[in-house]
Amino acid sequence: MKVRVDAAACEGHGRCYSLAPDVFEADDHGHCIVTLPEPGTGALEAAARRGAENCPEQAITLEGE
Amino acid sequence: MEAQADTDPTMLLFAPETANAPHEAYRRMREECPITRSVDGSVSGNPGAAVLISRFEDLSWALKHPEYLSSEDAIAIGNDRPLIPLQIEGPDHAKYRRLLDPEFSPKKMAALEPDFRALVNQVIDRFIEGDGCDFHEDFATPLPSTFFLRLTGLSLDDLPVFLQWRDNIIRPDVEPGDFDAAAEIRAATGREIYAYFERALDERVETRDDGLLSRLLDAEIEGERLTREELLDICYLLIIAGLDTVTATLDCAITHLARNADARQQLVDRPELAPAVVEELLRFETPVMMVPRTVKADVTVSDVDLKVGDTVTMLLGAGNLDDAEFDRAGSVDFERERNRHLAFGAGPHRCLGSHLARLEVRVALEEWHRRIPHYDVAPDTDVQFSPGIRQAESLPLVFRSAGA
Repeated sequence: MKVRVDAAACEGHGRCYSLAPDVFEADDHGHCIVTLPEPGTGALEAAARRGAENCPEQAITLEGE
Repeated sequence: MEAQADTDPTMLLFAPETANAPHEAYRRMREECPITRSVDGSVSGNPGAAVLISRFEDLSWALKHPEYLSSEDAIAIGNDRPLIPLQIEGPDHAKYRRLLDPEFSPKKMAALEPDFRALVNQVIDRFIEGDGCDFHEDFATPLPSTFFLRLTGLSLDDLPVFLQWRDNIIRPDVEPGDFDAAAEIRAATGREIYAYFERALDERVETRDDGLLSRLLDAEIEGERLTREELLDICYLLIIAGLDTVTATLDCAITHLARNADARQQLVDRPELAPAVVEELLRFETPVMMVPRTVKADVTVSDVDLKVGDTVTMLLGAGNLDDAEFDRAGSVDFERERNRHLAFGAGPHRCLGSHLARLEVRVALEEWHRRIPHYDVAPDTDVQFSPGIRQAESLPLVFRSAGA
């Protein structure tokens, strides 16, 4: 699974990096940076999914799902 | 009145007492008339068609398409020019947000947490020895406004006048429906606000302090400093948005937790739930019930044709209770897996202060429940919430010891 964020769609809600700080991080504007684009399986994969599912803009995609 | 409320969910929605418990009105709007468009002006007081949108999917789409549903001109609150960034769209809006977002970013806010936590405890110290307090008056009002004045670098002595301006703008003291009188109060207050910030900016032109206003004086967009008018239009927005919404959110959250002992006990037992409690109560209570838009280009939303000039009320609270989006939407669940609530809006106008608001509400709830885990709404009290932004008129609480 590969985690991607659509920077044009991200509006800086910050749900992803609050819920999954091991996968996402805030830039200086509060927008999302993916720090772990390939979270593998297990807890990190679940965290990535949690971050993606909670994005109000649906800006995060999980490829290879 | 009650009979009409029975038959017309719009009447129910705008009944003053609905702000106390809006869930039934929201449900009926979603189910019976998810998008209404009425041309008689009875809903908004405006001559054009009034539109109400209540389902999550439609709200979510509309908030992300300001080219159709614009935030320009959507509210007149005593301001001479569009508020920045709320009433600006397009590339200019993006420029202002690039300037302002870092001032309210999660990193900036995290640095303020110790200072805010200390302030919360100072405020609690004032009343914890007693049997109770008026939560709205003694806690929810002074806390965010004091912190706002610190952030901006303004004098705490000015707090009473700020609170009066806030009330004049957001809930002017007029007969219900007297839009002219409300507009007059807002215009007069607006002149005072502009004059105040003219002076505040003049002082900081002379001598910078470490507050936000001073930083804005030195801020540049593409090599250009902000004009005096731009600075004023930002300040105007900050005072309106900064003083009221967190107070309302605290009122809503504590009222909920006072009335729901199980939910409160979860937070007391597991303080690490606080961030989830904040998100779930933002969703379930939605302190800012609705936000306005105007239609800039004809568009069809879920088979309803909206026309240029229509005024649109986006019922964020209704969307946040929509079963089509949320699993068991009508239940409060602090372990909810997915919560894409719209309490801070969505799209380019996502609440600029949302990270500050989250910090304030989370830390306030953490410290409150650490120190005052057991409390109730005072007996025989009907808590009255104001419509629009759900702030309690007063919220008397009684404290009790464990098990009492």
